[in-house]
Amino acid sequence: MTIHQKPHTQDNLEDGKRQFSVVGKSVRRTDTFEKVTGLGKYSGDIELPGLLYGKMKRSDIAHALIKNIDVSKALALKGVKAVLTHRDVPRILHYGSPHPRSASCTRDQYILDDRVRYWGEGVAAVAAESEEIAEEALRLIHVEYEPLPAVFTVADALKPEAPLIHDNGLDKNNVMPPVVIRRGDVEKGFAEADLILENEYVLGRPVPGYMEPNVCACQWDGNGKLTIWSSTQTAFMVRGILAEVLGVPYNKVRVIVDHMGGGFGAKQDLFQHEFLCALLARQTGRPVRMEFTRKETFLGGRTRHSGKIRLKQGFKADGTITARHARIVLDGGAYGSHSPGVTTVGTSALTSLYRCENVDLEGRAIYTNTPIAGAFRGYGVVQTYFALDLQMDEAAERLGIDPAELRLRNAVRTGDLAPSDHPVVGHGLEACIRRGLDEVDWKAARAATAAQPGGVKRRGWGIGCEMHGSSAYPGIKEQGNAIVKMNEDGTVTLLTGTAGLGTGAHTALSQIVAEEIGIPFSAVQVVTGDTDIVPWDIGAFASHTTYMGGRAAQIAAAEVRRQVLEQAAPLLEAAPEKLAIREGIIHVEGANRSISLKEVVSPKRGMPAAQIVGVGTYSPTKSYSFAAHFAEVEVDTETGEVAVLQVVPVHDLGKVIHPIAAAGQIEGGIQQGIGHTLSEDYVIDLTNGRSLNPSFVDYKMPLSMDMPPIRTIILEAAPDPGGPFGAKGVGEDPIIAIGPAITNAIYDAIGIRFRHYPITPEQVLNALRAKQKEAA
Amino acid sequence: MRPFEYHEPKSLAEASALLCALGAGASIFAGGTDLLVEIKEELRSVSHVLNIKKIEGLDALSFDKAEGLSFGALVTARRIETDAAVLRHYPNLATAVSLLGSIQVRNRATVVGNICRASPSADTIPPLIADAATLSIHGPTGERSVAVEDFFTGPGRTVLKAGEIVTGVHVPPPAATSGKAYIKHGRRKAMELATVGVAVSLDRGRSGCDEIRIALGAVAATPIRARKAEALLRGRAIDPALLAEAAEAAMNESTPISNVRASAAYRRDMVGVLTRRAVGIALEARP
Repeated sequence: MTIHQKPHTQDNLEDGKRQFSVVGKSVRRTDTFEKVTGLGKYSGDIELPGLLYGKMKRSDIAHALIKNIDVSKALALKGVKAVLTHRDVPRILHYGSPHPRSASCTRDQYILDDRVRYWGEGVAAVAAESEEIAEEALRLIHVEYEPLPAVFTVADALKPEAPLIHDNGLDKNNVMPPVVIRRGDVEKGFAEADLILENEYVLGRPVPGYMEPNVCACQWDGNGKLTIWSSTQTAFMVRGILAEVLGVPYNKVRVIVDHMGGGFGAKQDLFQHEFLCALLARQTGRPVRMEFTRKETFLGGRTRHSGKIRLKQGFKADGTITARHARIVLDGGAYGSHSPGVTTVGTSALTSLYRCENVDLEGRAIYTNTPIAGAFRGYGVVQTYFALDLQMDEAAERLGIDPAELRLRNAVRTGDLAPSDHPVVGHGLEACIRRGLDEVDWKAARAATAAQPGGVKRRGWGIGCEMHGSSAYPGIKEQGNAIVKMNEDGTVTLLTGTAGLGTGAHTALSQIVAEEIGIPFSAVQVVTGDTDIVPWDIGAFASHTTYMGGRAAQIAAAEVRRQVLEQAAPLLEAAPEKLAIREGIIHVEGANRSISLKEVVSPKRGMPAAQIVGVGTYSPTKSYSFAAHFAEVEVDTETGEVAVLQVVPVHDLGKVIHPIAAAGQIEGGIQQGIGHTLSEDYVIDLTNGRSLNPSFVDYKMPLSMDMPPIRTIILEAAPDPGGPFGAKGVGEDPIIAIGPAITNAIYDAIGIRFRHYPITPEQVLNALRAKQKEAA
Repeated sequence: MRPFEYHEPKSLAEASALLCALGAGASIFAGGTDLLVEIKEELRSVSHVLNIKKIEGLDALSFDKAEGLSFGALVTARRIETDAAVLRHYPNLATAVSLLGSIQVRNRATVVGNICRASPSADTIPPLIADAATLSIHGPTGERSVAVEDFFTGPGRTVLKAGEIVTGVHVPPPAATSGKAYIKHGRRKAMELATVGVAVSLDRGRSGCDEIRIALGAVAATPIRARKAEALLRGRAIDPALLAEAAEAAMNESTPISNVRASAAYRRDMVGVLTRRAVGIALEARP
């Protein structure tokens, strides 16, 4: 067994001539059959003998000290096996999100505290013989609170008289020290500008709305070992933090994740119920399952960071950006979670996308007594590029330059410093914009909207752009691992630690292994989601699963291939480097000799086959994917309703592994992005911190019926030397550019610039009336 | 979910007697698409559930040009939505039903259930009010009939007395020159509660608008008639100025509330826009 690590070499890039047999083909996904037949096992499907049902009592006050909790009536209820409060659980401060000691997260949570900091925080947990009994027990728990002054907006949290939500030694209610990025000379840049724009952008509070509510099941065995089935993106991180908080070694915590119904970043966090479920199972000596209701996924889940961005840029008459100044203030909610990471990534994103040598950026995250903001697809970049790309549109108009042309002139290009301080590879953004302009016939489309006669319904076209890194480096030093085992019948087993949250990543990894070895896709089986079996993995997030986990799988597969060829060489009387494997047959290049891979590895004369195993370890630095989205909207000027008529997303992925799965990621991101922009907002009552729409009845995600036609175009314009066959990430990208594309299209339709999301019909109508009044 | 006792009465008389005996904690279960959600979400306290699906004769649907449309309490929304006669003669009802929940929900939900839930925003109610539909009610003292328009007393509240069960709906036959429309305003196309719903049923007759009924949903404590708007249009040749005046009247007749879905002012504005549009569609319609 050998370990190979080949970061950032050129040798895994296609030379342009390579013929792919598995990669780039939409093979049938490994998880499809189980999903459509209902055979797939989710954590909520776990049934164990003696299973108890856990439930959490949540606070109905946003900020208070717990003076007393009376659980006696709950404990007396028949069928109740255990009740835990802050008095019964280890009091260990933890990071909430399991990236311990990374710069992305904040150590500010207890499993249960004697104080609550947001409406809906867990204050006690019950395990009972049935869900109904557990629910009844919750009603019998009486909590006596001593209310504390509470703040529900960033503005209030920063006032001198505001209560301190966490005493972390920083300026009042700051989650972490400000993120400050300065390059060049901003004052000089503004002095050189022909046009200066300064605007404030206001960000709503969308939630991920994953299909599968948070759920876990815990069981302790006789040797004090915990098995936890959990819907998490970060199984090994869950193992680590649970082991530390529960005071057991890592090899006594086994985390199993089979199928998952989405996470979108939020399920990187460790939630209160995961600790409590383990503790309830330990105390009762019985397995316990805890599952959120849909309402709890709102109350106790994670939201995107809302907030405000003040952006000021200077432009030359030719469109050159001379200076960029931004002040970003995000609402972190009651606990830090990913606030440092989100603020850092979002703030640093403003150094790039559109070239500017002089930048002065400052990002802050502020505690408030509202639900926790955490990691969510787009990770801070959704917010900052919304501001940036809206202002670009405004600048284009003021400068008399076509908005797409202004973007092209400023688009980040190869060699430019990316937000991560790495040089950008290739001209991906330029390629995306140009391809999209052709596809939608931009000049003609814009001319048509400009020439449309006055009417009730008005159409408009808009553009938005984005770039997003694959991997969380440099915020988190990451590592992906894979083990590839050759079986004695020529089939292969891939062991990977990457979570499959529904993206099709395991299929992509299997394709990479099949391609690298030279065997059919059907010859690869993938084993995932069991921390006792698969190699360590940091988790599925940051658009890095195919990029990093795929590269590790490729490295492991290459090692298997090397060993196979070493064994085949004497049989074929040729040097290993003269051999090639195609469709499971080993050929001598340039000669008419071949042997099947199966023959090479199968047992001979009763002797066992040699153990052929490859291990791949890969620590990526960073690559960037790019996209340009083009959207056409229709605004009903009497009702204010905005209909998205069509979207043309153009994405550069370096190399596409599974076209349908990649397109699925893009379409899903656009669906979420349409929601963010037009309808989704998790609303908090600003008088008491209570959630006003914690359900899918009043939190409006667009559904299939609302989706416009989407013509997805995937480019392989800028392959990355760090990814498998040049592949880059696609998970986060599609949610970023759609918001600016729609908002800019609304402007094209009705001449009104909105600088916030979501943009509701009522706001559109009011703005139209204000404009009419102004005109009159 | 809080536990409840489950009953399967075999006859209307048995169901009615059970309702009388069990009191306010008893709820009728047909499609269950509202009831079960409300029990789970603890929006309604229910100690007894009476499944009426074992009662015979409640699933009939019939249309006759002279008699009109009749359907029983167990007829699902999906059946109404896909019924050829409804599609042809009651396009307002067909549209409203097609906008209720999703296809999965409509396969279970009943129109009578949607009515009895008495939500001010219920999609099926405005077109039935506009069409002067009546409800058949079975009670301990016999049968009675109530106009849909007079059925509601407040959000979730109706004129039903102890032991009474709605057994069916009757909608009068459409006039030869009828025009009907329903427009729903919501934030998305399916799985949506109306922020405003407007139904129109008119008979063009000789004047262009011999008779007209306009019903508004989600803009008052119950679905309401826009009687002043109707009066402005009845018997008149409708032009844009008159239509605008009627729309304004309908806005003034509505008394919406503000909530997380929309503000009262916006709802009132939409009453105006949708009334104008719905009357326009109904005037254009050719049965």
